[in-house]
Amino acid sequence: MNFDFLLCATRELKRNKRRTMAVFTGYAIAVSLLLVITAVTIFSKVHQTAIIGTTGTHFVTWLPSCGDLSSLTEEELSKLAKGIIPDKCKQNCANCTGCNKKPKDILNEGFVINTNTTRLLTLDLANEINKLPGVRNASPFLMFRFRDPTDNRLFTVGGLFLGHLAVETNSCGTNEIIEGQYLSENSLSKVIVDDGYALNNGLKVGSKVVIAEEEFEIIGVAATGADPVKADFYMLFGEAERVINRRIHNPLEKEANIVLVESVNGTVHKKVMEDVNKLMKNDSILTSGCYYPASKAIGLNEKLLWVFIAVILISSILLTVKLQLAFVVERQRDIAILKAIGWSNNSVIKQIVSESFIVSVAGCVSGVLISLFLLWAVPIEQVLGVEMDIGSPINALSMAAVIIFSVFSGVLSGLVPVLFVLKKHPLEVLRRN
Amino acid sequence: MFVLSAENLSKSFDIRGNQLKIFSDISFAVKPGEVLLISGRSGVGKSTLLGILSGLDRANSGKIIFKDKDLTAMTLNELAELRAMHIGMIFQSFNLIQTWTALENVEAVLMHRGINAAERKKQAIAILEELGLGDRLSNLPAELSVGQQQRVAIARTMVHNPSLILADEPTGDVDEETASEIMTLLMERVKKDNISMIAASHGAFNKKYADRELLLKDGKIFDVTQATI
Repeated sequence: MNFDFLLCATRELKRNKRRTMAVFTGYAIAVSLLLVITAVTIFSKVHQTAIIGTTGTHFVTWLPSCGDLSSLTEEELSKLAKGIIPDKCKQNCANCTGCNKKPKDILNEGFVINTNTTRLLTLDLANEINKLPGVRNASPFLMFRFRDPTDNRLFTVGGLFLGHLAVETNSCGTNEIIEGQYLSENSLSKVIVDDGYALNNGLKVGSKVVIAEEEFEIIGVAATGADPVKADFYMLFGEAERVINRRIHNPLEKEANIVLVESVNGTVHKKVMEDVNKLMKNDSILTSGCYYPASKAIGLNEKLLWVFIAVILISSILLTVKLQLAFVVERQRDIAILKAIGWSNNSVIKQIVSESFIVSVAGCVSGVLISLFLLWAVPIEQVLGVEMDIGSPINALSMAAVIIFSVFSGVLSGLVPVLFVLKKHPLEVLRRN
Repeated sequence: MFVLSAENLSKSFDIRGNQLKIFSDISFAVKPGEVLLISGRSGVGKSTLLGILSGLDRANSGKIIFKDKDLTAMTLNELAELRAMHIGMIFQSFNLIQTWTALENVEAVLMHRGINAAERKKQAIAILEELGLGDRLSNLPAELSVGQQQRVAIARTMVHNPSLILADEPTGDVDEETASEIMTLLMERVKKDNISMIAASHGAFNKKYADRELLLKDGKIFDVTQATI
């Protein structure tokens, strides 16, 4: 293979130092700017996603109760307790298994989430939710409102599973204990009390409380703040099952009344909520924090990032093509001479494209080195004012994009103008120049 | 036997939908070693005709036979190869590449022909030395006198031993003394190697060097040496 075109290309670049340096510098500046801006934007996005992406990614799902029980007759209530469903309730039976598990004191006690009464759902349904894409964790939860027969005081008990992330984010988590300790596998007849309830009732760690005729010891006080599922007492799920069973007509059979859910991140959170609602046959109520603006902001930033990079990329290509076009047009006399002495169009194209390719690749490599130096010398964390280490700011994707960019723009910025110049008649060019 | 013959050549340009006729049905031939002058006023189409003869441009109709090959049937690459192998061109303003040295300008003709760099260099140096430029090989055109530049242009034209030289106002830009010097050098080589030459000129070319003169006028060509062709 004949490499004379490379010899001529390198010679041309050496002899036209100013022109070469202008194009080279243009590429180097464009690439280094592109890489630095991309790195900073990606860094900012990663940091933002790390914070916003995990904010408000939890919600709970539950089935609202069948309706106003006070509208049922004594006979209907009695039948309902035995599992005979009144006609007016039948439309609410989807997903619910609790018709024969109505509380004995149906007007005061029952399955609730905060102040709302709920139906029951199976633990299998919770497992199905757990398997949905985008769900990090789904945890079944029992919450029952009891009445203290001694003073008619109403209070709620939450039954939770240990080690579930969804419990940490939606209800009483380990980091919310402000006094005493959290529940463990061995916490039988032990409870945690919510700090508000404890203050109102003079309870503290070590105090004893009676729940459904059984005595429990308070081992911890929790400040659960504005968690979506907030009970007065928290105990192990099995313990809750046991005490609740005393207050309902038939015992629970692998059932819960709430499912706590944690999404993978803010970007999929909305989709997860939709999927869960679909699985619950659109009969459920979803309770969540203020997730939507966060997930929307993430999506918006991501789109803006790519639009921004695309604009820089296209602008850089157009700029280099324009620059190269000017230089090739300036050299149309030389090209006409070469054609006149017997160089084929292919030979001319190879030389010009080689020139622009060499200078663009060299410029891009320098741009990469400059950007690496800048990113090394200027700590992004400090500039952006964040405390986070996300490793190397330039990733393989950015590097690959830059290499493709250099090859593409190099070939294009040489090829387009030379094709334009080659269309001109050589003798006409020589006479006019 | 002719080196080149043009048969019924016609050329016109389309200018914003109007056909501008340059010449039509012109025919002539060049013998080996013959120097043919094509004269005529500026703008009559002399350069256009040279462009067509060199294969840099195409005629609208007619044939050009060069060494038994029909140029009008050749591809652009074949025409480029033909120029590289058999045709030398000289231009009014020397037309050397300003960023290349004298040696590189001459060597350029031999590139893309499968000749290795050392051999190319040897041939280029040989002809430059023969033309008295042995000590100016590494000089850029701007560092050479007008006469030296034209000698480099002649070296570039002759280095590949062409059968035909096409010269477009070869002495148009130089004074009479330099023109004479250049033509003497050129004619020595032309005669020595029996090379044919077609020179286009509106008057600066000294007719004494031509064996025959054709006048291009009103789109037709006339042999003003003998009779109309």
